[in-house]
Amino acid sequence: MSLPGKRRARALGRAGLAGLIGLGLGQIALADAGRAFVGCPVYRDTNSGRKSGCWLAIDPSSGIRYDISLGRTKPQIGREVLVEGRLQSASDSSKSPVEHPPCGGVVLTPVVVSVLSSICPVFMLPAEGYTGRRFVLDPKVVLAPADVIEKLPPPPYRARTWWIEFTYGSDFLQYQYSEIILDEIGRYIRASHPRDVEVIGYAVTQPRMISGRQIAESPQVARQRAEMVALALSRLGATPSVLHVTWRDNPAPLTHQAGLAEASRRRVDIRLSY
Amino acid sequence: MPSTRARHALITLLAAVCVSCLASASQAGESAPQEPAGWWVPDSNRIFPERANYPDATGIVTVLHAGGPVDTRGNPFFTSIGENGRACVTCHQPTDGMSVSVKSLDARWAATHGKDPIFAATDGSNCPSLPQDEASSHSLLLTRGLFRIARPWPPRTPDGHPIAPQFTIEVMHDATGCNLDPIYGLKSAHPMVSVFRRPRPAANLKYVTAYGFVFDPKTGLPLAIDPRTGLRYAGNLMADGRVRTLQEQAIDALRSHLQRYAPVSARQMREIIDFETRIYVAQSYDFAGGSLTADGVQGGPDALAAAKPGVLDGPYDAQWAEFAAWAKDDHDPQLTAAQSAFRASVVRGIDFFRNHTFLITDSAGLNSMNFGNPTRNTCSFCHNMTRTGMDVAPGQVDLGTTNLPFADPAPDLPLFKLTCKQQYPPHPFLGRVVYTHDPGYALTTGKCEDIGKITIQDMRGIAARPPYFSNGSAHTLRDIVNFYDRRYHIGLTEQQKTDLINLLRVL
Repeated sequence: MSLPGKRRARALGRAGLAGLIGLGLGQIALADAGRAFVGCPVYRDTNSGRKSGCWLAIDPSSGIRYDISLGRTKPQIGREVLVEGRLQSASDSSKSPVEHPPCGGVVLTPVVVSVLSSICPVFMLPAEGYTGRRFVLDPKVVLAPADVIEKLPPPPYRARTWWIEFTYGSDFLQYQYSEIILDEIGRYIRASHPRDVEVIGYAVTQPRMISGRQIAESPQVARQRAEMVALALSRLGATPSVLHVTWRDNPAPLTHQAGLAEASRRRVDIRLSY
Repeated sequence: MPSTRARHALITLLAAVCVSCLASASQAGESAPQEPAGWWVPDSNRIFPERANYPDATGIVTVLHAGGPVDTRGNPFFTSIGENGRACVTCHQPTDGMSVSVKSLDARWAATHGKDPIFAATDGSNCPSLPQDEASSHSLLLTRGLFRIARPWPPRTPDGHPIAPQFTIEVMHDATGCNLDPIYGLKSAHPMVSVFRRPRPAANLKYVTAYGFVFDPKTGLPLAIDPRTGLRYAGNLMADGRVRTLQEQAIDALRSHLQRYAPVSARQMREIIDFETRIYVAQSYDFAGGSLTADGVQGGPDALAAAKPGVLDGPYDAQWAEFAAWAKDDHDPQLTAAQSAFRASVVRGIDFFRNHTFLITDSAGLNSMNFGNPTRNTCSFCHNMTRTGMDVAPGQVDLGTTNLPFADPAPDLPLFKLTCKQQYPPHPFLGRVVYTHDPGYALTTGKCEDIGKITIQDMRGIAARPPYFSNGSAHTLRDIVNFYDRRYHIGLTEQQKTDLINLLRVL
């Protein structure tokens, strides 16, 4: 067996998928119903440049080790994580070569990683021959420097809705995600002067059983999220007279894609009307 | 033994230094008092030169006033407008790159037997209640260059409203006696937390007040806007970010350091800000490397005055590109072997600073963002503003200089126990109970996650103002490098340490 072949077999074997080696990875993806589990993250130090490390976590219900590195939020070693995601589709090899898992785990993408308050053992792995991923900055998630003259959207303006998703239990506006949306909303507000900017925060308080844990958000998180987004919008030009801030529990998901539906319920909706 | 050429260059340079010292000593008025060379006494009515060179341990630091010479008569930066005889210049001495070094402080104590206003009881001693004529009462200033910063407890918003802190605070070790003092302590009628910090240089402020992007990635929020100017607050003023503008900084300093309790006039405020925002400080000559402003190299303060602030390190404007000319392969026959070797070392130091990755761990303000803990990155990950090494975002980060267990032992500093209340999240890496010598940014925000965060500061002219870090825990440039090596397990070789030290000394 060639070295890459050995590596692939080793990764899949460790992940508990040895029996599936005979199947095409596309078939695995087709069979994917999404994954949600609570696990203890392990950092693999692949040392392929800045931000190149790998994050792995084992789903206790299957024993499979997943590569959760492609989440927008990275784990904190020593703190459990809630992982929600789907297996990488066979057609999406842009972020990770399907044939040669770069981190030594089954790749989840898209994947949402939430850092929990519960602690777990600190564990780090050496590279063990895995390359990790060289960090490549996606220009779509980078805002222009402050001194670049902004371009406001041209008319006509119409009622619009945006949403910003959050990780479990958190009101933190995630870097290189939230500000892209907020910046767009801010420019739209400054250009169009809407009559009403409605900010609705949501929390998912309905309990779910995941990995034997009851997972449910505090109702207070809905308010915290709404107020955080409202504060951001006020600093981007939304005046107090047009900002209306409310919060609710348990919204409908924005997507019904396996593994991501629940994550999309943890959000704030922003509606502009005229 | 330096070569003839090197000695000639050194003699020429020192002559230039002496000329500029003489120029700076010229009097605007005949009644100006005599004073020791270098130390700037308030109300001395001297001319502040457009450019002055001062020798330091590794070379020469140049202080540039971009507006030309200044007649300091009546200028509030140089005038003792408070109750204790100090002026702004007292703690922002040109000889020390507009900060003040322990060496200068020790000399001043010896020369005045502790009577210089810089040793004022209010903050130039370990506690105002101590006998002020004893050097031991000023030990933190004389050994670490630390002034007492008395922060209100509970913390207050910039407009004076109390903040409900997320943590309680106890004094575990009151090394100075001030935190348990009945008048000045935490249990006094006006509860205060006394922490001890180095004065930041009043220089290169164009960079300190610049921001690179509208959003602060550490909070996810857009930067707040100053309603008076419509400009956003950059968030990089002061170790604990307690002031947002240069005007607020001046008001804070006038009250707490000069004991000026009445407001200054609008004209005086303008004069203070106008003067300090024209000051640029950087090393301009290195005893080993030679001129830092020749052969295509753009060190020194003039380049700082000319450049755009708030620029993020990147492929088009790389960190420390000022010294890129030293990376040329063609050997200059005019250089001595020692000079060439030094310059090559600086170039290696820059490469290491920008490109050598290591695991950054448990650092609130960095790992607490969605980068993860650990995250692999470089020195320039945090020191990312070109030309100064500050942060283009508000730079409050906990490197571990004040929080245990990472801080170096410091039995001469106070030690606090901060306990995060149950209804709030604990510190992201240190848990619900944190021991710290200085809660830092948390004394401004009241938040657990901000305990021990200290604003990243300007790295230019650093050789002129030891000791380093906000609590003076690094006495030398080597101490700085060694701290990072220990803190992040970088595993620096002796050569790498030397390269980084050499980089620091030419800034």
